[in-house]
Parts: sequence; structure tokens; C-alpha cells
Amino acid sequence: MREIKAYVPGIYARSEALVRATRDLDRGRTTQETVAEREATDLHDFLEVQREASLDYFSDGLLNWQDIFRPLDEAAEGLRPGPLTRFLNTNTFFRAPAVEAETPKLAEPLGEPFFRIGDLPRGRWAATLPSPHALAHFSAGELSSQAVAETVIGPQIRWLVGNGCAMVILQEAALFSGERDVFGLGEALDALESPVPLAIQLPFGDAGEVLGELVELDVEAIGVDFYATDVAALPRPFPKTLLAGVIDARNSLLEEPEEIAEFGRQLLEELEGELHLVPNGDLQFVPEKIAREKVRRLGEAARILKKEQ
Amino acid sequence: MSEVRFVTREIGSLAKPGWRVKSIAGRPVEKTDIEYARKWGDRLDIDTEKLTEILGKGTNFSDSEKAQIQDQAALYGIRLLENSGLDVVYDGEQRRSEMYDHAVKHAHGFETRGTVRSWDNKYYTKAAVVEKPLVDTTYDLEEYEFVRDNTERTVKVPFTGAYTVMDWSYDEHYARGDSFLGASAERRMDARRIFGVDAARDVVRPNLAGIVEAGADWVQIDEPAATTRPEEVPLVVETFNATREGIDVLCSIHICFSDYSCLFPHIEGLDDCYELQLEFSNRDSLETGTKDADRPGYAILERFRESEWDGKIGLGVIDIHTDFIEPPELVRDRILYAAGVLGPERIEVNTDCGLRTRSWEVSYEKLVSMVEGTRLAEEALNGS
Repeated sequence: MREIKAYVPGIYARSEALVRATRDLDRGRTTQETVAEREATDLHDFLEVQREASLDYFSDGLLNWQDIFRPLDEAAEGLRPGPLTRFLNTNTFFRAPAVEAETPKLAEPLGEPFFRIGDLPRGRWAATLPSPHALAHFSAGELSSQAVAETVIGPQIRWLVGNGCAMVILQEAALFSGERDVFGLGEALDALESPVPLAIQLPFGDAGEVLGELVELDVEAIGVDFYATDVAALPRPFPKTLLAGVIDARNSLLEEPEEIAEFGRQLLEELEGELHLVPNGDLQFVPEKIAREKVRRLGEAARILKKEQ
Repeated sequence: MSEVRFVTREIGSLAKPGWRVKSIAGRPVEKTDIEYARKWGDRLDIDTEKLTEILGKGTNFSDSEKAQIQDQAALYGIRLLENSGLDVVYDGEQRRSEMYDHAVKHAHGFETRGTVRSWDNKYYTKAAVVEKPLVDTTYDLEEYEFVRDNTERTVKVPFTGAYTVMDWSYDEHYARGDSFLGASAERRMDARRIFGVDAARDVVRPNLAGIVEAGADWVQIDEPAATTRPEEVPLVVETFNATREGIDVLCSIHICFSDYSCLFPHIEGLDDCYELQLEFSNRDSLETGTKDADRPGYAILERFRESEWDGKIGLGVIDIHTDFIEPPELVRDRILYAAGVLGPERIEVNTDCGLRTRSWEVSYEKLVSMVEGTRLAEEALNGS
């Protein structure tokens, strides 16, 4: 019997109310406290949707993260938020980490409010962090993946695990270009010394060309966007746990759970590891009301498949 | 040999003043807003009596009053661009909400889906295409006619391009039916291609054709998304050609904040494209000089020189992201450098992009400096 799980890594969509609150904050029309209250309501609603959908790991949605690198840029000595940069081929931008020291160092691991450990069930939640390779690749300046792993991401992972995190998903958006460095990624993963399973998720892109190399890495799970990757490109048999990006976080069109389940059945025939159903990237790319419905449908698809096991 | 004379223009949008934004959005207009209208009216030699009288109501403007406010905002936009010395003007897009929203809200077949993040606490509204889209009116006609009737200068009308409309929309129509889950790249691409060409023929083209029929002889297709997916640049070309097919008009494309190397060799397939208006100064040095090392932001011009595409380059010489006022000498050197690479006959002069994120004060100063710098470049080339 194959293990099937479903969960929602990454940055979740902000509700229209939180959008208004944060806009008002920028315009000096409201206070940080009001925004924090609204974030708490959004978090409560997001956790409730995950509970209703019977997801296997909970996520806090990183609702106050301005982008996947920002809190780490601000917390690490030797890094700071740098130039505005397009995130892959989306219409969303991030601040590239600007390098001020060869070896940046996390002064203190990020805790509340960046990880809402007080609201997450111990041992049943998953955290998302940037892959050290992606952080180094997208930085403005010279930075080694290994240094980022050793002194920034690694300490953060160990802190998360100490606070009940069961799994860490490393968002890896820097493997789609010709300059990809899978060897460097492998070394960085080793340097993380993670006490829990790690997944490398490739959001919003065609992973086909690199999957053959990725399965050789010492990582428990690999995440593939199946709205950008031809399923024919999957190495067979697939020797790892597969985070199958089966919910399209870049389109408002709602998926049919039975259709996802049918696709899941095809994948199960090829897998040696577990099948984890996830969105193909951050759900912040659709409005919150659509994101919520997509989470429900993800849970329903997982329920169908679990029943058949 | 005839004297060199560069054409100067803005790209499209200017900031909207508080009095225009608040009155149309139903928020109270304050005394400071009215003062701002009066100050700029005096500066641009516009009679402000009627406008300030309407704005003095403060709130609850009637539809007729809102229309008059919109007209006045457009007039301020035109005069600001004229007074700064530009050869080619529009109205600073004062009547438009936002470039994507403006295009899809006038088209059948799109539905607003909600707000998503652009970056930090900045968001934009996204729509989904839910059926084959269609525009059946010339929705910018009134806007164009007002500009045409209120300026003696050449008019260039900006339109949001079909590729950008497609790329910035969710797809609940072309992607429906056969699931794209695990599908081949060709199948996914086919759906985007059909959507893009439909957007060109049935969304952008009808409005553009109506404006040309009303007398416009120069249009600008804005494609900020053009190089977002380098593999789809051929589709950008295809949608441009489908948009302007059979329409007799001078047609430019504006592309900004992009990797222009993706455009080659595909731009050679553009049908009758007068020019590419591009952003360069954003990536350039702020020091004067006309050597290669002095002008890193313009290095890509060499690729345009080598390309078989031989249209004009609308040279971005003003950075729209900062309040730094480019000295005329810096503008001059950017133009001289570009003229040295491509020949002055292939150069026209503009800002990198629309100035809507800058205050009117900054925008005006930047444009004045741009025109002064252009004149300096002409003097240098003409030997006067």
C-alpha cells in the first residue's frame, strides 16, 4: 500500500480584507496592529480550510512574508533585501537578496510571527523555505549555496524541527535556466543536516530536463509542476516521494477532484515512494476565495485516492 | 545632408492627481487637492475657474461633473506634455484605470476574479477569460477625439497589446475541456496561441481600427509581458501582426524592463512595425560619456544593429523609477551613443516607460530635461 498525502506548501493568498489592510498600512491609514489582527483571522480561516479538507500536514501560509526570501534577508547578517526582480515568468516580483558579506549568518532563527508555531499542531505541520541554491542563485552578489545552507537555512530548519515541524519543503526556482548547478544543490542539501525529510519543489516550470539528475540527490522528495511538465518526462520507476503539483496555482480554473485522482492513479503506477498531492507553486497567485476552493478540491482528490488504497 | 531632428515623446501614462482620483472614486476632495489643481492650472495656462468650482463641492459629484473632471484631467495631461516641449503627446492616460483593467473591462468574455500580489503590499486585479472574447465598440473613441481636438501636436495613441492581455489573464475558456495536467508543452502552447490571436483580432484590433478610422495615424501597442516567456516571443510577433493586419497606420511597440536579447531573431517577422520603444536608462550609468564603457545600459543596441529588422528604436533616456532628474548632458550622451551605433535616422527619443509612478513635478522636470538633452544631441550632430 502506497502512502498518499496532501498539503499546501508556500505562500498562501491574502484575503481581500488583508489586502485592504496592508494597502491601508502603506498609505498610513491603519496600524500594524490592525494588520496583525487581520493576519490572525486569515490564518485561522486558512487552518480551518485545511482541517475541512483533511490535509495531512498543516501550513501557516507565510501570510506576512513579502516574498520567499525576505524574512531571511532581513534576519541574516550579511544579507539585505535588494533589487526588485521578476519571479520566474510570472507578473509577481521579489527583492533579490543583496549580499554584504561572503558568509551570511542567521543571527537568530525566525520564529513568531514568521512561523506561527503556536497555531500549528506539533508534529503535523510542514514548513516552506527557499532552497539554499535558489537563494544564492537569485542573490545580487557572490554567494555560495553551501554557505547559505550552513549558516542560514540549516539553522532555521533545525529550529523549525525543534518546534514541531514534520517536513520541510525547499522551494527551488533556479533550476530552469541553462546555468543550473545541480551538483551545487546537492552539496548544499548535504550541508543542511536536516533532521526531518526534505523536499525540493520546482514551482511553475518544466522540470523535465532536470529530473534525471535530481533523483540522484540525497533528498527524500521532489516536487514537480505537472501544469508545466510533461508527465512523459518523469523517470520511471520514480525512486523518491513525488510532490505532484496537481493544483494549478496560476490559473483560476478549478480542478475536478476526480480528474486529479485519475492522474494520481497513473502516477502511483510509476512510483516507488509516496505520492504527495500539492499545488504547483504558491497559492498566492490566485485570489484567496479561489485558493480556498482549490484547497478543498485538493483534499477531495486525496480522499478519493486514499479510499482506493 | 539634411539636419538631424529627433522626435520626442512620452510613453503613455502620467500620475493621476488627487482631485481626479478622489472625485471619480467617490472620496472627498480636499482643499489641498483644489490648490494642486489651481497651481498646475496656472503653470500650464489652463483656466481653472470651472474645475475648481466643481471640485469645491467636495463630494457627491454627478455623472456630468465627473465627466467634466475627467476632461479637465485629460487637458492637464496634454498641456503638461506640450509645455515640457514634446513633439508627440497624448493625455497621460488620465481616463484609464490601469492598462490591463482598461482593456479587459471593455471586452465581453472576461470576468474579474480578485486581487493578487505584484510585490510586497502592491496588488493588481486579475480577470479570467471565460468565453471567446470580443470588443464591439471603439471604447477609446471619446478619449482620442478629445486629445485630437485639444492639441496641435502629433498624437500617438497607446493600446494594451494582445499578448499582455492574454498573459495577464487567467484562462477559464481555452484551458477548459481536456485537462492540461501532465500534458505536453505543445498542447499547452496551442491554447495560449489561440487565446493570444483571438485577443489580437477581437479585443485590441476593433478598438484600434475605430480610432484609426476617426483619424489617428500613429498607435503604440504596449507589451510589457513580451519577454516574460522567451519561448513565446514568436507569439508576441504573431499577435502584433494580427492586431494591425490591414490597418493603415504607423504602429509602434513598447516593451520595457525585459531581456531584449529574447527578441532576436523573431522581430524580423514583424509586419510593418515602425519602431520598438524600449527602456534602457534604467540599466545605464548616470555618468556622461559616449564610449561603450560609459553606456552599459545601451549595449544591446549592437544586436539591433546586426538584426535584419531595420525599424526605428524609441530610445528610453529617462528612468521612470527614480526622482533623479537626468541632466540634459546625460540625455545628450545617451542619444549620441545610440546614434553612433544605429545611425541617427533610426533613433527617436522617449522615457523608458510611462511616468505614472512619479509626481507631476518630477515628471515635468524629467521631460524638460529630456527635450533639452535631445536638442543638445542634435546640435552636436549638426555641428552647430
